[in-house]
Amino acid sequence: MQKPIPVPAPGSQVHWHLDAPYSLKHLLIIAAILIVLILTGQRTEMDKMVMMTTEAAGKLLGVADDSQVVRGLSRVATSMWPPVFGETEEISRLPEFKRDQLPFFAHVEVQERVEQRMNSETLQLEPHSESVEVLVKPVGYVVTVFIKMIETLEIALWGTIIAVILSAPLAYFAARNYSPNQASYTAARGFISLLRSAPELIVALFLVLAYGFGPIAGVLALGLHAAGFLGKFYAEDIENADKKPQEALEAIGAGKLKTLWYGVVPQVLPQYIAYTAYILDRNLRMATVIGLVGAGGIGQELKGRFDMFQYGHVMTILIAIFIFVFILDQLSARIRNKLI
Amino acid sequence: MPDRILKGEAMIHFDNLGKAWPDGTKALSDISLHIPRGQFCVILGPSGAGKSTLLRAVNGLMHPTQGLVRIDGTALTHATQKQLRRRIAMIHQHFNLTSRLSVAANVLSGLLPVVSTPRALTGWFRSEHRRKACGLLQRVGLAPTHLKRRAGDLSGGQQQRVGIARAFMLDPEIVLADEPVASLDPKISRDILTLIRDAAREQNTTVLCSLHQIDLAREFGDRIVGMRDGKIVFDGTPAEFTDERVSALYHGAHWEDPPKKAEPEAAGFELAHV
Repeated sequence: MQKPIPVPAPGSQVHWHLDAPYSLKHLLIIAAILIVLILTGQRTEMDKMVMMTTEAAGKLLGVADDSQVVRGLSRVATSMWPPVFGETEEISRLPEFKRDQLPFFAHVEVQERVEQRMNSETLQLEPHSESVEVLVKPVGYVVTVFIKMIETLEIALWGTIIAVILSAPLAYFAARNYSPNQASYTAARGFISLLRSAPELIVALFLVLAYGFGPIAGVLALGLHAAGFLGKFYAEDIENADKKPQEALEAIGAGKLKTLWYGVVPQVLPQYIAYTAYILDRNLRMATVIGLVGAGGIGQELKGRFDMFQYGHVMTILIAIFIFVFILDQLSARIRNKLI
Repeated sequence: MPDRILKGEAMIHFDNLGKAWPDGTKALSDISLHIPRGQFCVILGPSGAGKSTLLRAVNGLMHPTQGLVRIDGTALTHATQKQLRRRIAMIHQHFNLTSRLSVAANVLSGLLPVVSTPRALTGWFRSEHRRKACGLLQRVGLAPTHLKRRAGDLSGGQQQRVGIARAFMLDPEIVLADEPVASLDPKISRDILTLIRDAAREQNTTVLCSLHQIDLAREFGDRIVGMRDGKIVFDGTPAEFTDERVSALYHGAHWEDPPKKAEPEAAGFELAHV
């Protein structure tokens, strides 16, 4: 049996009232957001983007005649295909070549090489053919890329280690309840903000000037940036940790460092591990990019091949990065599931 | 006031102690107490009476705005606090263990003031210290299998036993017990208080224990100090703490009201069945 909802008797006074959910204020906010979107959209050429993309879609469907986007993409695709897996080297240029000890999977071939040479008598360029012995390594470049990938992993790993080492003392000084005084707190917070605000790629650019090309600059760039992240998260965890065990240790006069070690660190350790795993994950991605400015790893190889117009090699590297990131994603997801 | 409860040298001496919070409310006013060595002194009173604040004045977790505390003749100041704290252990209402740390590590953490920093950070405690931790855990009634368990995985009563073991690691001269049994059931409460009392007697340790259970206060205290609104309203032996005194302590101006009309939950205590 459903009873009718009691309605206030006609004429009775209701002292409560409920406003309508939207007002002029909301309309004005929506209008302001729209204006900002239109202005910024124009400056970032979003209208042109929509036009070009539509054109490309039309070309693919056979409606439009020409599309700049499709032309550009097909030029990239044709120059990058096929990916280069092998490597050939002239044996005469290999000082330590031993004919009876060929590298794995490799074989020796004789290739005809045609060169334009200046004839000293006629002063004309003449085709000149020459047979050279070359060492063919069918997967030689894949091996090179693999080694570079391992280097990338190592850069990410050491970037993370440096970040952890740097951020631990930073976090101590940046935690309001452990920092010795206001000055050290402000200094540590400021330094952390500075580290966080400098993007890895730009830091790496400057560190390459300081340390030269190679992994040192990459490791330091990743480490410094991540130290900013970890320092902030660690410090906030220390501040928010359960006060009760800390009070128990403070009550017997254990001292700040020992109180932190026995009263705080065990409690926040799972969070610390989660943050550090996230930073490692992030560093692995960043390490593939950071070589673009000469800071070591696969990115440096990519940049070199790109600058020499060897797009086949670039394709191989891109495939390698894709596989690498895919595998890492799977692995880190699995590890995270186990940890949490 | 009988001499019995004042006899002996003063271990803790509150001299006209007062505490006003920054907003002006008075947590303690004009507290003068003289607690001899080896006494088990129970502080009793309704919630918000200032029991915890008084206890925390003894080891400097709270700094009074008026008067001072003397421990064994030494005034507690910022300068003397660090040295004095080593002689004063504390047992907490919520045990205050580091829940993710092992039972053994929690007990050993009671030694932190006297252990060198490298030893503390590596957890490499001396063998006599480890033996002492084992001895105390045995004394409070835990089993060897508990040593490596996480403190947070134990039951409340077991956690408080660990807390007691931790408190006695430095052979304290004073034990402050801040509502040590407030979150435990009556049977375990009695066991825990017996443990604290017996362990204190063995070493002639002074105990200052805040409680809100009247029957437990009568059973365990050598002396009962009743507090209300930051003031001492009763000081005497358990025998002197009659039912009239109880209702005066808890109902204040309305003490003539029969206790049955009172709301025990609101007052925050159990009615005594004596």
